[in-house]
Amino acid sequence: MVACDISKAVRRVDAVSKSEGTIKYVSDYSFDDCLWGRLVRSGIPRGKIKAIHLPDLPEGYRFVTYKDIPEGGHNYLHMIATDWKCFAEDEVRYVGETIGILVGPDRTKVEDLKQKIVIDYEEMTPAVTIDEGLECKGGAFVNSDNIHCRLSLNVGDVDAAFKKAAKIVTETVETGFQEHVYLETNGACCIPEGDHYVVYASAQCPFYIAKSISPLLNLTPDKVIVRQTTTGGAFGGKEHFPDVVCGPLLVAAYVMKKGVKMFFDREEDIENSVKRHPSKVVFKTGLDKDGNIIAMDSTVCYNVGGYLASSFVVLQRGCFHVTGCYSFPNIRSVGLGVATNTFPSCAFRGFGAPQTLFAVETHLCHLAEMQGLDPLEYKRRYFIKQGDTTSTNGKVVERVMIPEMLEQVMKASDYERKAREYKWGSGRGIGISFYNHGGAFTGNGEQAIIKARCQLHKSANGDVEILCSQTEMGQGFHTILPKIAAHVLEIPMEKVIFKDPDTSRVPDSGPTAASRSTMIVGELVEKAANLMKPRYDKEEDFTVETHYEHPEGFPWDQSTFQGYAYLGYGWGVCAVEVEVDPCTAEITTKGIWSSHDCGHLIDERIVHGQVNGGVIQGLGWGSTEVMQNIGGHFKQTSMSDYIIPTSMDFPKQGVYFVENPYQWGPFGAKGMGELVFNGSAAAYIDAVSKAIGKRISSIPLPTEEVMTYMLHGTDLKSELQEVR
Amino acid sequence: MEELKCYMPKTLKEALEIKAKVDVIPLAGGSDLMVSHKRTMGLTPVFEKPVMIIRNLPELKRIYRNDKGECCIGAGCTSEEIAENTLCPWHLRQAASRMGAIGLRNSATIAGNIANASPKGDTPGPLYLLDARVKLSSVRGDREELVSDFIVKFRQIDLQPDELITEIIVPYSEDDFDYIFWHKVGTRKANAISKITVSQAIKFNKDDTVADYRVSATATGAKTNRSRDVENIIIGKKITPELTEQVIEAFDKVISPRAMPEFRREATRRMIRRFLSESAKRPKGKVIDTYEGYSVTGAPTPRS
Repeated sequence: MVACDISKAVRRVDAVSKSEGTIKYVSDYSFDDCLWGRLVRSGIPRGKIKAIHLPDLPEGYRFVTYKDIPEGGHNYLHMIATDWKCFAEDEVRYVGETIGILVGPDRTKVEDLKQKIVIDYEEMTPAVTIDEGLECKGGAFVNSDNIHCRLSLNVGDVDAAFKKAAKIVTETVETGFQEHVYLETNGACCIPEGDHYVVYASAQCPFYIAKSISPLLNLTPDKVIVRQTTTGGAFGGKEHFPDVVCGPLLVAAYVMKKGVKMFFDREEDIENSVKRHPSKVVFKTGLDKDGNIIAMDSTVCYNVGGYLASSFVVLQRGCFHVTGCYSFPNIRSVGLGVATNTFPSCAFRGFGAPQTLFAVETHLCHLAEMQGLDPLEYKRRYFIKQGDTTSTNGKVVERVMIPEMLEQVMKASDYERKAREYKWGSGRGIGISFYNHGGAFTGNGEQAIIKARCQLHKSANGDVEILCSQTEMGQGFHTILPKIAAHVLEIPMEKVIFKDPDTSRVPDSGPTAASRSTMIVGELVEKAANLMKPRYDKEEDFTVETHYEHPEGFPWDQSTFQGYAYLGYGWGVCAVEVEVDPCTAEITTKGIWSSHDCGHLIDERIVHGQVNGGVIQGLGWGSTEVMQNIGGHFKQTSMSDYIIPTSMDFPKQGVYFVENPYQWGPFGAKGMGELVFNGSAAAYIDAVSKAIGKRISSIPLPTEEVMTYMLHGTDLKSELQEVR
Repeated sequence: MEELKCYMPKTLKEALEIKAKVDVIPLAGGSDLMVSHKRTMGLTPVFEKPVMIIRNLPELKRIYRNDKGECCIGAGCTSEEIAENTLCPWHLRQAASRMGAIGLRNSATIAGNIANASPKGDTPGPLYLLDARVKLSSVRGDREELVSDFIVKFRQIDLQPDELITEIIVPYSEDDFDYIFWHKVGTRKANAISKITVSQAIKFNKDDTVADYRVSATATGAKTNRSRDVENIIIGKKITPELTEQVIEAFDKVISPRAMPEFRREATRRMIRRFLSESAKRPKGKVIDTYEGYSVTGAPTPRS
């Protein structure tokens, strides 16, 4: 099988242009007679707009609001749900909510005029945290209970098991906001052209934008052509959020009959963009007399913010991952998407899974430690295996190689010796975590919602163009997909063309999200290349098309969330070793070792890069990345106070893989872009907890918090609170 | 677009003449001013007054020893120039080498770090510790003032309208002490703002009594903290655990951190305790840090 060499690293196709700085980003484009736009946003978290006072606007300048949406148009952005308004009308639900867009020909003038706009509000009491949302502080503003969305899962009989339990303990685990900090901030241009509009945007999902914003002008999505521009990072922050940028641009372009462009600077982007959902997971776990888990109940609350948008799907994925890499006999989970007056939360690498995975890993550590056990000893009792039942009453379809991966990580990190020698509270600690990530859309999403299509076109000169809507955002997909095609066709990669998508010329192969691009679209390209191969030498100019087909025999019911949620999971094991400064509580990470199963690797270096970045991004989420929301306002709004790790914060990583080809993936590959984020924070917190000998159940964990735990924390061996 | 009036003197003399006549904002590295005056992406910063660029005045770029052996650092020297120059005292080199990222260190100047009078500034801690003075020049002549007096309070300095900071004079260095300590707890390991920084130095007499002891702390109040009264508790005496605790408690009363007070107070206490107890053991070497084997992962080491 040729599959063995596809893993060998090649030079990324965008390596040179990005290193040289010659590649064009959206803010590098210029269009004749294009106006500048600047969003005017709510300065309060909750209230009514009483009046908007505009300065005298010179000719050519206009303040565009919901009132400018033409008859038949809809003032919403279609992101799964349709509740997020393009422009606030009389009510504002969060700081940063778009009220209008000021447009005009001179950039400085637009800014000066914007500074002179005054908005009068009738302020109302905001609910900012999950608890405040649940308490309906200031009165409910979504439904009668501030719950945007809810779901429940049930496997076995938790109540019956609780009756038999020797002990039921409870614990709450919390995680905070996380900002994406893509290198390139958000920006887009919208240009009217004849009977349609062309949108240029730094974005992950061009077809999402067309679908989301076209109803504003009551257009069909094909009348809004989206051309993705080179995208300098996204991490989920450009999955739905570009709709919020492009919607007002579209309305402004319609009103002004001219192109309009808008780019955010870093502060504007951090203050006024989506974040990872903060979470609060409350466990109730039933133990038998030997301390074994017989039932686990969890309430999973995510801070959704002012509008639901895509959050229900994030919450679903969160609940589906709440049992982690384990099989427990009885499981119940209730998910609640809580409405608050914060910027709506949205997709972020992991899409809801990291929060619950962190929660279950941390809870298991504490269950072990209160019994005086090393968490690893305890966790390995419950490792899930092929054929075992999942949290949605489906089965694990594939072989699970956690034991082999654990072996690699233990050997590389010298885990056993260190876990034995580093006594709890000794200032040194080694932690370990287990995690997975269901590849592609949940359940029947791929066949019922996305219905991905992909084409390969061969030209007379022998070049083959891949036509699909997948985007390069730094992850390497411009290299991965041509590599798959070239490999099947046995032609040089240079003969394979793969451009940034333009929705008017490529079929919709779905969003670049959910770790689905290689796994699903890569497979479509592999199939298409196999169809093309016998005809390649015989025919000059032809196109082949493939569409997604779901393997038979793996049912899913989206109304009850029962069945096979994912056919292929990525799996991960990560160990982290730390040392704590006894004077200052600073944590120094001494080692990071991970092993991942992402099927067969399409390109070792790209996968390696994803591991390095994902693990560090997860460690940032767990340690320094504090993002507070005080009274509805994000407090950290610049790169100097929102603290992402630098390359000096963490040491070189030990990176390992296992070979476990996925039967429905290209060359056996599975999704892995999100997986690699999902587990490092839990391993880090496990290590820090052991080093200081105190129980830690919330992140992030900046230095001052470590000191607080050192001074006032609960001993690792103390019992978790009992409930009945 | 508004026009920005900008002066670019070629010599210090010229600069001082402009400063005497016009109300200008002196700009050297620009690493604070360009950030605080920036507007949104793509727009020119707006300054409320004319700007005088003094970045390349040769008179402000020298580092040398004066006839008293004191280290004199030109106001326009960048953090990186200070970090790399072994004429500069060790504490100051440490602080300069851990300020921001390399791009900032190549631009930010020591005078700017003093003049912005931020309680989190990196260089004032060592400068207070070593009794450093600023030289203030104007067409009227020169005067000198302790850095600790020159920084009046949060964001306020004792600078006359016609004056420029031209030099920083540091009378002490690590050679005057037996043991030295400098530790910055940053928001991360590099490119970080200080959460707290403690600088210490000690010298012993032959009979093991303390000849001199100094401690300063940054980010613990409206300005950098140091108190000779606190240091005097232990000077002339032998280090004992009881005296150490007295120093710690007295210094705790000097500092007044507003944010994260418990962390800042506790870390300060522990760093003083560590330094005094370790130096009392008279270990080999000169530098004492927070614990054996402390290392900032990959942090830049000053070249010497």
